[in-house]
Amino acid sequence: MAIYSFWIFDKHCNCIFDREWTLKSNHASGTINSKLNEDTAKLLYGMVFSLRSISQKLAGQGPHNEIRTIATGKYRAHVLCTASGLWFILLSDLKRENLSEVLRYLYGEIYIKTVVHNWLSPIDFAESEAEKRGRGTRKIRNRNFLQRVEEFLGPMIN
Amino acid sequence: MSASTSGTSAPAAASRKSLKAFSEDVWKNKTAKINAELFTLTYGSIVSQLCTDYERDFTRVNNQLYSMGYNIGVRLIEDFLARTALPRCDSLAKTSEVISKCAFKVFLNVTPQIGNWSSNKDSFSIFLEENPLSDFVELPMDAARELWYSNIVCGVLKGALEMVQMDCDVWFVSDVLKGDQLTEVRVKLNRILKDEIPAGED
Amino acid sequence: MDPNGAPEMTEHQKIQVQFQLFQESLPKVDETVYRMLLNESIPLAIDVEKRLSQKLDSLPTEDPVLESLDKEVHSKLVLNPLKGNVRSNKLLQHYLTADIDYQAKVKLRLSKIGFSLGEKLSELLIFSNNPNFNFKDMDLLTVMKFLCRDVWRQLFGKQIDNLKTNHRGTFYLLDYNYKPVESFALEENMSKQEQTLLEPYLEIPCGVIQGVLASLGFRKESEVSCNASIVEVPESRTTSQRMNSWAVSFNVQVVPASDS
Repeated sequence: MAIYSFWIFDKHCNCIFDREWTLKSNHASGTINSKLNEDTAKLLYGMVFSLRSISQKLAGQGPHNEIRTIATGKYRAHVLCTASGLWFILLSDLKRENLSEVLRYLYGEIYIKTVVHNWLSPIDFAESEAEKRGRGTRKIRNRNFLQRVEEFLGPMIN
Repeated sequence: MSASTSGTSAPAAASRKSLKAFSEDVWKNKTAKINAELFTLTYGSIVSQLCTDYERDFTRVNNQLYSMGYNIGVRLIEDFLARTALPRCDSLAKTSEVISKCAFKVFLNVTPQIGNWSSNKDSFSIFLEENPLSDFVELPMDAARELWYSNIVCGVLKGALEMVQMDCDVWFVSDVLKGDQLTEVRVKLNRILKDEIPAGED
Repeated sequence: MDPNGAPEMTEHQKIQVQFQLFQESLPKVDETVYRMLLNESIPLAIDVEKRLSQKLDSLPTEDPVLESLDKEVHSKLVLNPLKGNVRSNKLLQHYLTADIDYQAKVKLRLSKIGFSLGEKLSELLIFSNNPNFNFKDMDLLTVMKFLCRDVWRQLFGKQIDNLKTNHRGTFYLLDYNYKPVESFALEENMSKQEQTLLEPYLEIPCGVIQGVLASLGFRKESEVSCNASIVEVPESRTTSQRMNSWAVSFNVQVVPASDS
């Protein structure tokens, strides 16, 4: 049972946070907001984007048909998309079947309290048109957010 | 590879129960509360200081309140979505219902009426029978002519709706503080904003 | 007889319970909305100062043609209410780079908002049958306790954690977890900027303190002063590790009129 990485995308298709753990044995291992993850982020975004489009098409005129999990032979991606266009994504091993409660907590208790209620932090990370549509590079860096994410997800990585 | 989707998470629970009962539950169980009068007094102090700062140029006060509301709205919507887990609305009628029965209920504990739909269904009015921003407020003569005392509400709605991709105009049509019969806020949908796609993908 | 065998409540406790029930019965609104209104007041005050000093959104000078137009058409023609809108965090950044004089003006504006709120708040709290407050023994210390307990609980849902005084008119009101800025943080290594940005967030309660004092007879500005600063949280208090809280000391000076 392991969580490998955590990603947030905003409505401008930008990755505004990424956290990847490399060693199961070490909570502090891995990278935060790493340049090396840019390509992976784009691919991950593209995959969820495509699957969302398909699932909406399949649902037709019916109720919303949101992507919840995506599984490959080794990984499972857990997805929470908000009406405001934020995507919270966790990558885990296959034993983790449902992390929707964890994603809700990351949004409702951590993102809301340390970004939305934090007046020193931006709420929109793209500062100009040139930083929209996946071309932005600004990240959530405030220390309360980073600390809360580590405290909450750290114990779940192995 | 396999994928699973959901149509039955928390939001669907909201539609099974009535939106009214759902909102009542959020208000009762997921909402920390403060005295409404404190809220009224705080807002009153802010407006009155603005009127002094702008030397009773009420047009500027109206705009400043709107701008203040916008900055609050873009944040408040996230709080609202986290608490209610509601999905995007598929019609403006649904949006109007969520605004009155859910948003106003959860934040201000009032449920204004919706009405006055335009014939092409692109605009509607919110009738604020109760308005916690202006309880017991009386305006001096000069302000009663020009000031939209609760204009912050329009800004909040503007900012919040924009965050869920709805470009709207929001303005006060009338206010009992000005001696009007009703307090009416008008919402007009200009367009649904398109979700962005990564550059180079179109 | 109490069936549970618990000790009976004293008269004072009964009144306290009644008062609590009364408070709970009053109309309520959501705390988040209130908190956001308070927190946006600071960017608001910065924005006002910015607009007043730049005359950014000054309207075109009186135009007789426009004047004669129907007012509604007029407002649609010349007004875009979001013109010049700057996001909250950007306005705060603007404050950070402004000079001391500019910052002082912003703070004064906020302190005035607090003062007027404080005046009205003491009316609200005292005339609602508050058992914690008795007109008979309204000395300065009683007023301070009223501030620490009733006013603070009303505003921030908690009491002041520690009240210190030299019994000669100087009071330190210590709040070890000042709620409005609870979740405020910048990146690591930006604590100096954080401190500066928190300063205007202390002005409204400073004003409230002065407003309450004024409404209870400590009126002249020369007699009362209040300033606040961020202080270290005492180690005995750092139990909650979930977030770094901000501790604030509100320093109140009241010079008795007879001494001047």
